[in-house]
Amino acid sequence: MRLKDLSRLSWDQVRRRKVVTGLCAAGLSIGCAAIILAMSIGESAQTYIETEMNSFFSMDEITVYADQGVQARGGPSTVDQEALERGRLTEQKLEVIRNMPHVIAAAPYEEFGYQEMVTTDGKRSYVQIYGTDLATLADFGKTFMQGGASDLSGTMVLNYGATLGLVDEEARDKLLEQLSQNPYDEQLNDQYERMTRLPTAMYQRQAQFRLYGMDNKLTLSSALRVSGILQKPAGASDRTLANGSKEAYVSMETLELLKREQGGGTTASSSGAVSYNTVKVKVDDQANVEAVERQIQKLTLSTQTNLHQKEQLAEQFKIIKAVALGGGIFILIIASISIVVAMTMSTYQRKRQIGIMKVLGANLAQIRNLFIVEAALLGFLGGLLGVLFSYWIVWGINALIHSMSGEGDAVVIFIPLVAIPVGMAFAIMTGVISGIYPAVSASRTDALTAIRRE
Amino acid sequence: MLRVEGLSHSFTNGTETTPVLRSINFNIKQGEIVALLGSSGSGKSTLLNLMAGLMKPTEGAIYIADTNIVKMSENQLSEFRRKHIGFIFQAYELIDNLTVRENVELPLVFQSVHPKIRKQKAMELLTQVGIPDKAELFPSQLSGGQQQRVSIARSLITEPSVIFADEPTGNLDTKTEEEILAILKRLNATMSTTFVIVTHEREVAEQTQHIITLRDGYLVTDPAAGGRQLIGEEAR
Repeated sequence: MRLKDLSRLSWDQVRRRKVVTGLCAAGLSIGCAAIILAMSIGESAQTYIETEMNSFFSMDEITVYADQGVQARGGPSTVDQEALERGRLTEQKLEVIRNMPHVIAAAPYEEFGYQEMVTTDGKRSYVQIYGTDLATLADFGKTFMQGGASDLSGTMVLNYGATLGLVDEEARDKLLEQLSQNPYDEQLNDQYERMTRLPTAMYQRQAQFRLYGMDNKLTLSSALRVSGILQKPAGASDRTLANGSKEAYVSMETLELLKREQGGGTTASSSGAVSYNTVKVKVDDQANVEAVERQIQKLTLSTQTNLHQKEQLAEQFKIIKAVALGGGIFILIIASISIVVAMTMSTYQRKRQIGIMKVLGANLAQIRNLFIVEAALLGFLGGLLGVLFSYWIVWGINALIHSMSGEGDAVVIFIPLVAIPVGMAFAIMTGVISGIYPAVSASRTDALTAIRRE
Repeated sequence: MLRVEGLSHSFTNGTETTPVLRSINFNIKQGEIVALLGSSGSGKSTLLNLMAGLMKPTEGAIYIADTNIVKMSENQLSEFRRKHIGFIFQAYELIDNLTVRENVELPLVFQSVHPKIRKQKAMELLTQVGIPDKAELFPSQLSGGQQQRVSIARSLITEPSVIFADEPTGNLDTKTEEEILAILKRLNATMSTTFVIVTHEREVAEQTQHIITLRDGYLVTDPAAGGRQLIGEEAR
């Protein structure tokens, strides 16, 4: 029997038996949609968390520290400084790292803690200060919204968050006082919150830092000019940025200046050579991080990456995805029962037709194939419906998330392309498997019993 | 062409055995048109089903085109039916969702014949039975007589050795009955296909060349022994 004839005869039955087709396709579509949704939610959540982790933990970066040696980590405090010379993070080692394969950039990176930034018009806000090679900011994935890194000393680069919530101290104190008297006043709360995320144009403006020295003495640093403002991270809201990440980047030279103004020491070693506490290394691909890390460790340096976080996450998502997929398959199995029942009913109703076909010369395999192709077509229809349903459901979930969060940074569920053929394949496979029993039972119909009229 | 030798058949219900056919022997030649006449319960339908390979006899042999079909498996029988046997049913038994032409083509679909050849053959046969203009209609749009013409065309499309017609005029009025019998006789004459017509109506049987009369499972006339003259007495 030609495949075209087989499909045509089967398709005729699918089209003709609307109730059976509807029942079977509905059952299969739910199962198929469940699989697609399970895969989509798993994949979307993983992508979202990975993106978030990448932005917070920078998976393709390695943090390099000076190697303090075994004793320094818990041994006697009388460590011979000369003995530690080998583990220092020197400019020479930094140069070696820069020239390693797969390394995009390497730069010293030193945290100077949270300091209060004061603008020339008296607005204040706390920012985290980092000392680094400003020219490498772009290599580390930072893009500029305004300006750029400057070679000149006494300049700094602010991230977008650092330009938010710079408020006049007097106005802030006044509002806080009002709030302490009326802590549940929604209007005041709202006003305060709006104030904390109010943007200030900082580009090319000057600002100083209020530095507390070791002796708790307050010093005002020299004025630093803002040479660049970094781009707002994609998907992050002003509220998130105002409450979290406020950063100021200065050159190592400027950092030394700030340290001196604070009354602290410098980073020069006993031998006089410049050395760093921390260096950040940007690698071209996450896959090469481990290899570069091993190379760096050979330079008697300690390293740290965030890859273990990703591995942990991948492990957790593997379990979540398996559970979700299992749920989808379970629904499909339930759906398959409806197909077996509906198709067996259909076989019974078509007993006479099967009998006539057999009398006209159809053999067992041809009758069986007719039913199996019919079941596969039902699976295909169910799969198509399932894909449609899953798009509707995903659209609904996304709309719900957006309406509930009211922000643009909510988790957006997307349907990965691979989920569609997987869902369709499961639906067709379930259709075919469920169609086997009715097909065999149909092929065994006794032609004589089928055509005999009472 | 069709030879029945020592054919007996019984139905068993629990411990009770009811004989339906008892030692039937006859021979039908190629191109003959023969009536299988008998009243209800005489065993004529059982004999037809046995000859068509739809049932296995308790005893005996049935030869069609020199092949004993009694010993065939179900798949061998379907293969044999495809090539050698055509059917005409009392209730036409057309497939509702296929057009008239597609119904006629159906036996060739199971033989994987190319659609072009199928279509051409179907149209030729529909012309022969006088309804070429109904080719693209559905069975429900036709009268009983027209549906039986479709059934006749369908039985002929595989050019079988023998066509079994089970009460082919049973559902038709007298005028249409005559038309259908005339078509069968004409096709028998032009295509030299063997026809075995099962009927309980003497008038129908009398229009055939030979009559095999069954009564209570016994063959009471033998076409080879001039059964045509005996029919009047036996059927009464």
